[in-house]
Amino acid sequence: MDPGPALYTIRIDGHLGATMLLAFPALAAQRHGAHTLLTGLLDRSALYGVLAEIEALGLNLLEVRRHNA
Amino acid sequence: MIDRGDLLAALDRAAARKVTIISAPAGSGKTTLIRAWAGRPGQPHQLALVPVQRGQQDAQLFWLALLDAVRQASGAASGAGPAAATPDFNARAMVDRVLSELAGARGDLTLVIDDLHELTSLAALAQLTRLLTNLPPGLHAILSTRHDLRLRLQQLRLAGELAEIRGPDLRFSERETRELLNASGIALSEAGTARLHQRTEGWAAGLRLAAISLANHPDPERFVAEFSGSDRTVAEYLLAEMLDRQRGDVQRLLLRTCLLDRVNGELADLLTGRPGSERILLDLEDANAFVVSLDPERTWFRYHHLFADLLRLELRRRMPREVPELHRRAASWFIQRGQVVDAIRHTQAAGDWPGAARLLADHSFSLTLDGQTQTIQALVRAFPPGADHPELALVRAMGDLGHGHLNEAAAHLAAAQTYAETAAQDHQRRLRVAIASLKLSLARRRGHLAGVVEQVKFLDSPLTAQSDEDIALGSDLRAVALLNLGTVEAWSLALPDAERHLEEGAVLAREIGRPYLEVGCLAQLGFASKVRPFATVRRRCLEAIALADGHGWGAEPVIAPALIALAGALVWTGEFDEAERWLQRTEQALQTDTGPDIRLLMHLGNGILHAGRGHHQQALEEFSAAEYLRSQLEGSHALASEVTGWLLATQARLGMTGEARAFLAVLDDERAGSGEIRNAWAVICLAEGDPAGALRAAQDVLDEMVPVIGYVTVVEAQLLAALAHRELGDHRAASQAAERALALAEPDRLVLPFAMTGSRELLLGLPRHQTGHAALLTDILDTVRGSSVAARDRSPAPPAQELSPGELRVLRYLPTNLSRVEIASELCLSRNTVSTHIRSIYAKLGVCDRSSAVRRARGLRLLAAGRTP
Repeated sequence: MDPGPALYTIRIDGHLGATMLLAFPALAAQRHGAHTLLTGLLDRSALYGVLAEIEALGLNLLEVRRHNA
Repeated sequence: MIDRGDLLAALDRAAARKVTIISAPAGSGKTTLIRAWAGRPGQPHQLALVPVQRGQQDAQLFWLALLDAVRQASGAASGAGPAAATPDFNARAMVDRVLSELAGARGDLTLVIDDLHELTSLAALAQLTRLLTNLPPGLHAILSTRHDLRLRLQQLRLAGELAEIRGPDLRFSERETRELLNASGIALSEAGTARLHQRTEGWAAGLRLAAISLANHPDPERFVAEFSGSDRTVAEYLLAEMLDRQRGDVQRLLLRTCLLDRVNGELADLLTGRPGSERILLDLEDANAFVVSLDPERTWFRYHHLFADLLRLELRRRMPREVPELHRRAASWFIQRGQVVDAIRHTQAAGDWPGAARLLADHSFSLTLDGQTQTIQALVRAFPPGADHPELALVRAMGDLGHGHLNEAAAHLAAAQTYAETAAQDHQRRLRVAIASLKLSLARRRGHLAGVVEQVKFLDSPLTAQSDEDIALGSDLRAVALLNLGTVEAWSLALPDAERHLEEGAVLAREIGRPYLEVGCLAQLGFASKVRPFATVRRRCLEAIALADGHGWGAEPVIAPALIALAGALVWTGEFDEAERWLQRTEQALQTDTGPDIRLLMHLGNGILHAGRGHHQQALEEFSAAEYLRSQLEGSHALASEVTGWLLATQARLGMTGEARAFLAVLDDERAGSGEIRNAWAVICLAEGDPAGALRAAQDVLDEMVPVIGYVTVVEAQLLAALAHRELGDHRAASQAAERALALAEPDRLVLPFAMTGSRELLLGLPRHQTGHAALLTDILDTVRGSSVAARDRSPAPPAQELSPGELRVLRYLPTNLSRVEIASELCLSRNTVSTHIRSIYAKLGVCDRSSAVRRARGLRLLAAGRTP
């Protein structure tokens, strides 16, 4: 039961360079201090896909935030 | 690498428990730890190592790899090659197999499963839970994974048998970092080491990448300083550094081959366009640079998963336009080697969806025969939704059939048919065969047998193939088509056609090296031998079963038709105990749902077994179940009248004549007019005390006024007539009819009709010395008295010499109470000749009296049906 895409911001430790960012084509990246914020519209499958990618690349996940419409 | 003694000790302690789970993020050093632990000199554990393939969605492939690893580790030198994948996969049976292999292992064994998070099949995880909670004593398991898994291991946890090693445990300490640097010959100050340790947070992959860059670096301190000062993620920074420091050819190799799951020198040369790749790969492995060889000869390699993922991103960044071409080159290389699945994956990755669809459709049958059903479905799912690939309709139909979604299968088949009409000539022929094959399969699953054989008449003429590839694909297709066709024909009672096609299928299957199909054809042939002498049925079934057993398929659904046919034949000849054993074996083989037809046979087999033993209530339950299944099958069914007939007869024997008559009244004309139903009518009449009515019904069969399935119905009719005559007081007519029944039953040595009709009194009333079938008579009376025919001698040694035909003829009369003179008269021999034969028989069997001779002969199956002299 997918409630449809929502706006998510995902906070990763460290700055993601051009190479790393290729793994997250659906998201916009922004530096925020020592972290990187990835923002985009994701439905549930896409969200778990992003999380799996983060795990696969050994990145440090700090926060997943969903913005209410 | 370095000696992480504390960590190894921790793993030692953990491994003492039944199950150890190492759960830590990518690049934490799980595999390295396991290898170090396993590779320690003097390490006492026997290990079965199972690395899970990347993105493994195919549960069967996982379990087969596990089974092979266990076999190798436990030294089970069974001689047979690796276990083969089969089209019907039964996870439960597979785990049972693994458990029994483990139980048979000499000494302690540790099962090590690496990268378990790559196993995405939920069913496999569930079965793995069962395996882990049922490990025999002395056996342990170590699992490594990137994230916690959905394994329900509470039982083990509560019993204190579950140990865990987690990410923080695997982190390098500062001391260990220093040791790593020292071991790699890197001179770094204490402060520098501390900074390196802090920046990487002790992450193994980061430290290893750094070590590669630091080795032979002119200014290690500056490297660390810059690294510490950067905000880039550790992996990205260090990978870029490591890559930049490699020679040009090494960089080229790493980038251009990282998109492969595994690589060898030749394939790498193809992708880089340069020679010498094998040397580079070997050097990389020696330098511990995230490259690992997969075989002892070091010809195939793979990259550490994290490393490969990072490289792939780098490749896309540097040379995005080259990527599809690389995939295409890889695909054509794999196709040449017949590695179809890899070829399809790379074709998909190249974005060539039509090409991938064509490949998949062409090879779907062969891949299914290779047991790659789940892999096929995973490949189908990878196609972008909404895209129209008509070739895939065929593959989707196969998936639907496999899952029992019969209506969807029919729809997809119709779509495939439409597509086939527009396909190119050479392609069209193959497609038509494939579609026909699936149609037959579908018809069988549904029981809609009528008319389907007509639609596939063209299968009779063999293919005229073109290319080598065509021949290979075409043969696989044809063999499957022959199996399906023969099966449907057998079930429609077109038995001569069935036998012909199944025999052809078996021969072709053997030629093309498809043992699974060969077993399938032979198994169905056993079943299709219905009108042959029972000796032929047994021989064919035993052949098929022996072949299946040789491949380890003795408990698979594919062999069920032969098991059932054999059991049936044994029931007919009165060997009830042995029949029961075969029926139980069939029950075990039918764990997965294989369709109503086989289940019907099971109930029928059990039914006649119970009826033969006089357990009418249980027989009724089985016949009722069979009748229900029969009613579910559309179109007329081969065994319909037999099933219904026996159901009615059993009801009558239990006194339920009212129900029986009611059922009779609503029967369709075709069944009502059959010999089997006439016999049932006779049974009902006898139960109601109307022997004249019974006689009339039986007479219809004897006068050949009605069709019968086989001569066994006539035997039954003779006995029912005899019983009716007896009730009417005409004992002479009764004896004559019984004698005729015996004569008919003699060649196959049938016992069942006599048992089922309750003819014991009748037979006892026969004047002994006037029967020409004394031996058979004795067998029958033994059976209905309760001792099964051919009870096995526990340890029969074969006779010193074979008995001659003359001796065998005399042997058959030994169980009777005829004297030597009487035997001589029966066989038209002199008394002396008979005595000579008997002496010789005793000598050859190693006995000294008649009853011992009979026992020995029975144990050696010299007196059983099937060894007619």
